Amino acid sequence: MKSPFAYQPRSRPLQLASPGAAVAYLGAIVAVAFLYSNPLVLIAAGVAAVAAGLLAGARRAVRVALKMGLALALLIVVVNALVVSRGETVLARLGDWPLFGQVDVTLEAIVAGASGGLRAAVTMIAAAVYSACVDPDRVLRVLRPLAGRSALTATLVSRLVPVAAADAARLRDAARLRGPGAAEVGKAPLARRLLAGSLDRAVDVAATLELRGYSLDAPRPRSRPARSRYDRRFYAVAAAVLVVAIAGKALGADDFQTYPTVEVGLDPATLAVAAIVALSGLAPGRVSSLLGIAEQTRHAEVARV
Amino acid sequence: MSELAIRRGAAPALAVSGLGYSYPQAAVPALADVSLEVAPGEFVLLAGRSASGKSTLLKAACGLVPHFHGGEIGGEVRVAELDAIASGPGDLAAAVGYLAQDPETQVVSTTVAAEIELPLEMRGNEPADRARAVEEVSLALAIPHLLDRAVDTLSGGELQRVALAAALVTRPRLILLDEPTSQLDPVAGDELIWLLRRLNEEWGVAVLLAEHRLERCLAAADRVVAMESGRIAFDGAPAEFLAWSQHADPALETPAARLFSLAGIDPLPVGVRAARQTLRGMGITHPPNRAGSGVGDPHPSAPAPKSDPVLRAKNLWVELDRGEDLRDVLKGIDLTIRRGERVALMGRNGAGKSTLLRTAAGLHEPVAGKIEVNSIALLTQNPGDYLVRERVGDELPGEQGAAALRVVGLEEKIDADPRDLSGGERQRLALAIALAGRMDGESLPGVVALDEPTRGMDRARKDDLVALIARLAGDVDFVADESTKSTGAAVVVATHDVEFAAEFAERVVLLGDGVVIADGPSAEILSGGWYFATEVARVLDLPGIVTPEQGAAALREGR
Repeated sequence: MKSPFAYQPRSRPLQLASPGAAVAYLGAIVAVAFLYSNPLVLIAAGVAAVAAGLLAGARRAVRVALKMGLALALLIVVVNALVVSRGETVLARLGDWPLFGQVDVTLEAIVAGASGGLRAAVTMIAAAVYSACVDPDRVLRVLRPLAGRSALTATLVSRLVPVAAADAARLRDAARLRGPGAAEVGKAPLARRLLAGSLDRAVDVAATLELRGYSLDAPRPRSRPARSRYDRRFYAVAAAVLVVAIAGKALGADDFQTYPTVEVGLDPATLAVAAIVALSGLAPGRVSSLLGIAEQTRHAEVARV
Repeated sequence: MSELAIRRGAAPALAVSGLGYSYPQAAVPALADVSLEVAPGEFVLLAGRSASGKSTLLKAACGLVPHFHGGEIGGEVRVAELDAIASGPGDLAAAVGYLAQDPETQVVSTTVAAEIELPLEMRGNEPADRARAVEEVSLALAIPHLLDRAVDTLSGGELQRVALAAALVTRPRLILLDEPTSQLDPVAGDELIWLLRRLNEEWGVAVLLAEHRLERCLAAADRVVAMESGRIAFDGAPAEFLAWSQHADPALETPAARLFSLAGIDPLPVGVRAARQTLRGMGITHPPNRAGSGVGDPHPSAPAPKSDPVLRAKNLWVELDRGEDLRDVLKGIDLTIRRGERVALMGRNGAGKSTLLRTAAGLHEPVAGKIEVNSIALLTQNPGDYLVRERVGDELPGEQGAAALRVVGLEEKIDADPRDLSGGERQRLALAIALAGRMDGESLPGVVALDEPTRGMDRARKDDLVALIARLAGDVDFVADESTKSTGAAVVVATHDVEFAAEFAERVVLLGDGVVIADGPSAEILSGGWYFATEVARVLDLPGIVTPEQGAAALREGR
C-alpha cells in the first residue's frame, strides 16, 4: 500500500508551484507555530495547515498526520502533566512515583503541554502536506547543482525506500505462506534477507543512475527553469503571514501565560493574527473554486433571467 | 566525437570483436570469443537458453560490463565508434540505450516526466530542449497521458514504456533490451515489440533484443544471433535460424515452426503471416477441424469432472488500496475448481489473477461473498522470498520437510545452499516450503497455486515445470503409480504465457477487470481469440487446435 505521505502529482496550485514557493508558504505556517504559544494562534496555524492540505487534494496525508499529530500532542500533555508540578490549580495528587517523585497534576501543566503538543501537531501536518504535495524530483533538481553528492544520496534513498518497503511486504507475505512444516522464519533471517535484497536493488538502481548519466560532470543549463504562475501567490501569502506574525508578536498579540496560573490573551491583535493565519490556509485553493458558490449563484440568476 | 557525428555516422551501431569476459570470482567465463556487428537501423534478435550469455553481452555493449560489474574483459567493443570498454555507461548513453527485465528498478524519479527528462538534465541540456525531447519521445511511445503520473501508480507495461522512453530520449543509435516483455501480459508484450519495430523503421534506431519468447518477436527481426555457453552459435536470417534450431537446439523453435516441421512443410515460417501465406500457397486454407474427435483436446487424460471441489468462490468481492484510493479488484467472482484439475488463470496485468490466488491463500479478506479452500500452498512471483536460510535442510526440517522435498524431486539437495541451486531448483524448493506440513503423508493439499512461475524461463525449464505440474495434479502420464492420481492437487497457475498454458492446462479461466470473462477447456479458450491465443491457433484459426502437435495432425489430415 502506498504511503499516505508519498508525493502524488495533481493539477493544484500547491503542486504546480515551484518548491521554493511551496516551502516558503508552509514554512511560514510552521514559523507562526514556533513564534507563538497562544493556543488560539496555534489552532489557527493548525487550521491553516489542514485547509492547505485539503485544498491541495492531500486528504489522506492530512487525515493520517492529524491523527498522528493529535496522538503526539496527547502524549506531550500526559508527560508534561506528570513531570511538571508547577501551577496553582492542582487537579489531582497522585502521591510518590518511582523516578517522578511527588506527582501533582495541575491545570497549568496540562495547558502548557497542550500548547507544546499543538505546536508539534501543526509542524507534523505541515510536513505531511509538504511531503504529499511538493515534487521531490523538483526539489532534487534545485539541490543538484548546489550539492551533487547529497542529491545523489537523496535520489537513491527516495527510490529505494518505497522499493524496500515493497520488498519487506513481499517477504512478510512469503513468511505467512510457508507451510506449517517449514522452519519458522525468525526476525534475524528475515532482516538478513531484506538487507541482501535491498543491496541487490541498490545495485540495480545505481546501474540505472549510471546509465542515465548521473556520473557525468554535466554543465549547468544557462537559462532558469520556468516558474509557476502560482509562485507569487505563495510568496506573497508567506510574506504577509510572517510580517503579521512578527508585528503581532511585537505588539503583544502572543499574550499567553501558563504558570503560576493560566492566562490567555484574546485582545483584538491576537484575534487579528489568528484570523489572518487561519485565512492563509486558503492560498492553495483555486480562485474559481473559492468563488465557486458565488459563481453558481450568478449562473443560476442568469439562467432564471 | 560530437553527439551529432555519433548519431549520423555510418559506422556500425555495435561492433564486437573477440570479446571474452568473466564476472569476478566466476569459474567459467560468461562470454568467450564473441564477434558481432549490428548495422545502423538493424533489428537483431538475441536468442539462447538461460545463462547463455545474452544479458552479459548486452551489458558489455552499454558499458555496465566491466565498469559496473568489474571482472576481467578482453577483446573490443565499439558502440557508434566509441570504445565501450574505455568509456563508462554515462558516456555511452548518448549512443546506446539499455532496458533491463525488471521495470521496478529502472526508474529513479517520482514522476514520469522527471524520469524521462533526467538523462538530458544530466547532460546539461537547456530546459526548452528537454521539454521538446520529452514531448517527442512520449508521443512516439504513446505515453503523453502518463507524463504527470507518479511512477508508483503505473502498471508493469506502462513502467516498461517509461523506462524505454528514458533510454530513448537522448536519441541513441542503438537500443539494447533484455527480455523486456517477460513481465508483461500478451497485449502489452505485443504492443512493445511492434513499438520497437516502428522506432526501428521510422527513427532508424538499431535494436538488439534478447528474448525467450521468440514467437513474439521473430517476425519483427532482420536477423537472429543465437548464443550458447557464452559463444555465438548461430548468426543469420530468421528463416535460417529456424532451420538451424530444428536440429541444433529444438528448445529454441517457435510453435509455428514446430507445427510446420511436424507436418513436414517447408519453409519454416518466421511468424503467423508467413505461415498463413505458405499454407495458402499450398491450397490449405481451412484444415479440417477435429476438435470434436479428440485432436483438439491437449489433455485427454484429464481427471473426471466430478472430483471433489477444493476451491469454491461465490460472489467474491475484494477491495484493495492501489495507491490513490480503494478499488474493487475482484467483482463478484463465481468459480469452482476440483481436485486434479490443471487450471490456467489468465488476463491482462491488473485483471485480478494474483489477487484471486492471494485471497484464496488468506492474504486478503473479501469485502463481500466468500471463498472456501481445502488447504492451499501458494508460490508467489518471487520464489527467492521464501528462501531465508543457508541450507536446504534448515528450511525444511523433519519428516514433513523431507516429504515436501520428495514431492518436488529435491531430496538429494538437502545439504545444498539454496543460493547454489539453479533457478528452476530454487523455484521447486520454494514450492516445497509452501507445501511442507500441508500434506497428509504423501497426499498433496487441495490446491497448489503458482503465480507467474515462467518469468524469464527458457523453453527447457518450462517443459520441466509442465512435468512437475502434471505430477502435482496426479496425471498418470507423469507418475509411476496410478494410485497417486487420487492424491493429486488442483494446480492453479496465474500466467501470461499462452504457449505454456496450452502445454499444461486443461482449463483456462480468463479474467478481465476483476470478473470472469471466459471459463472453459484450454483448447477452446486459447483458440478463440487474438491475444489470448497460441501462435498455432492464430496460424490455423481452428477451434480447439492450440499446440503444434494438434495442428500438425490437422494439417496432415488436410493434405
